[in-house]
Amino acid sequence: MQKIEDMVCTFCGCLCDDVTLTVENNMIIAADNCCTVGNAKFMGKNRLKTPIRKKDGAWEKVSYEEAIDYTVETLLNADRPLMFGWSGTHGEAQCIGIHMNELIGGVIDSTTSVCHGPSILAIQEVGHPGCTLGQVKNRADLIIYWGSNPVEGHPRHMSRYTVYADGYFLENAFKERKVIVVDVRETESAKIADEFVRVKPGGDYAVLSALRAIVRGKGDVVPESVAGVSREQLFRVADLCTSCKFGALFFGLGLTMVKGKYKNVSNAIELVDELNRHTKFTLTPMRGHWNVYGSNEVFTWMTGYPYAVDFCRGVAFYNPGETSAIDILARKECDACLVVASDPGAHFPRACVEHLKDIPTIVIDPFQSLTTPVADLQIPVGVTGIDAEGAAYRMDGIPLKVNKVLHSDYPGDAEILSRIYERMMEVKGQ
Amino acid sequence: MSSSVIWYLKEFVRAEWLRKFFFAKTAPLETPAHFRGFPQTTENECTHCFACKMICPSPGAIDVLQEGDTWAPRIYLGHCIRCGLCVEACPEDVLTTGRLLEVQKIDQTSYVSAFHVMIDTVLCKRCGNCSVACPVNKEIDPYLAGTGTASSEEVIMRIIRGEMRVIHPEKCTGCKTCEESCPNHAIRVARVVQGVHGPKGPQGALGGGEAPVLEEGGEERS
Repeated sequence: MQKIEDMVCTFCGCLCDDVTLTVENNMIIAADNCCTVGNAKFMGKNRLKTPIRKKDGAWEKVSYEEAIDYTVETLLNADRPLMFGWSGTHGEAQCIGIHMNELIGGVIDSTTSVCHGPSILAIQEVGHPGCTLGQVKNRADLIIYWGSNPVEGHPRHMSRYTVYADGYFLENAFKERKVIVVDVRETESAKIADEFVRVKPGGDYAVLSALRAIVRGKGDVVPESVAGVSREQLFRVADLCTSCKFGALFFGLGLTMVKGKYKNVSNAIELVDELNRHTKFTLTPMRGHWNVYGSNEVFTWMTGYPYAVDFCRGVAFYNPGETSAIDILARKECDACLVVASDPGAHFPRACVEHLKDIPTIVIDPFQSLTTPVADLQIPVGVTGIDAEGAAYRMDGIPLKVNKVLHSDYPGDAEILSRIYERMMEVKGQ
Repeated sequence: MSSSVIWYLKEFVRAEWLRKFFFAKTAPLETPAHFRGFPQTTENECTHCFACKMICPSPGAIDVLQEGDTWAPRIYLGHCIRCGLCVEACPEDVLTTGRLLEVQKIDQTSYVSAFHVMIDTVLCKRCGNCSVACPVNKEIDPYLAGTGTASSEEVIMRIIRGEMRVIHPEKCTGCKTCEESCPNHAIRVARVVQGVHGPKGPQGALGGGEAPVLEEGGEERS
């Protein structure tokens, strides 16, 4: 039995790097310090043993060589291939994915286009007043969670980075911190908030505008109620914001994927900008997948664009709404799809999943998922953080090295993708 | 109808009624000896045993906060119901109100308490809020308090093998901080407090006599 400390949990964007794993006979038998979701991932069972391919409606086992050949053939024969996912794998694999996409002239998109894509559009428009989570932990005396429920989605976010951890510059850390939760329903996070602001669905933009008006000193234009939030509460929230020493606004899909989309986020950034005239205030998106931030970083440094990059012209082209995965699938535009480390079968609209079923779909993922039934081939790989390693970015943009603990015969994402890429180059005679 | 109106008018213009109404005399406003105001601090040093937080029946009424190198209880006036229980429970007589301390000394009364920490493993998300927020844990393991990473086996509860486990329940002071920081209401601290006759003991929050025995049935659900 061996205890391995400081392992990185590869589940959510918190990327907790303090997990202690107990390994016995090349098996993880316990994970300490982890939350429920991280624990489930480390202790996960039922991994696919070999690549499987659908033939005449039934699954059959195939070798890695056959699987690679099939993938190369399918992607090279496609007129408009789509390569989607990338958020659940390490940076090295993402790099190879982009090279491969350039070679085949396809579209590469990460899960960003269905989560914080609008946040990036807003950041491109107005800028990003951000900071690391360490700054928040050590300085912030006001935490706002807007349209996100960290207790369910990022369980250790509050205890590690924001509310409960002691801060270097705060005497009675969590007693001095105020927590505001803004959501359409009373979430579990709202239960431990000092102020819960219940917004009517789709009303976030109006509430942000009202807060901006109050902070600007134009509170007299605010009506009695804004999207279900009373005037008194808006003034109370604005007062908490302006009177704090250091505020941190975290926002989730409750802001980015509702009516208003990126305009909501840009309004939130404008509010933070406004608040910085009174005090210090920052804004951080609550990134979901453990390395979705990394996919944006890698895509940006390699292609110039953060997600939804189209190489059909031979050069990178970016136009979310046109080159994003959902739109391409909904228009039935693509004729082959490679899904890497994500589960569109669980999260995409029905029409998109139906199209995935109609075209050759190849999945590279360690576990069976809801995308497996619509796929034609699934290639199992090592799990980064367990039996594969690589680099990942935390939700605040901090890169971390993810080590492996087990030795297995599974190839890592980077290895399998580079084998596919090399074969493609051979076939193309390059 | 008209006769009753006349009757009322007659009644109200009586000289005696008018004199009583305009020159009403009430007893002089003096604080009675048994009155309990908001608890005040005495000169005694707080040992942050959290007995006051433990016994306080009103949510958010009292907290024990660090002020530089020392600790001190803080009363939140809007929440305090002036029951005086914190004054009676404090083993160091840090708080006082009315003649409560005096009476307690004469009567030789004190409290004995016992706690049992229960975690519902079905509801628990292992978010770590309780173990990081716990003031006793914060003192035992400052690394846990600062980073959310438990580094000691001496804390009351921490995450072991994917479960939030209570490993040192005897260190619990019953302050309820964990209950307040749990978003799922998964952690509960059962408090059994008995009023006993006898001088305040040197055992801190546990007071003088024997600690009461907890009934079975408060076991951890798993």
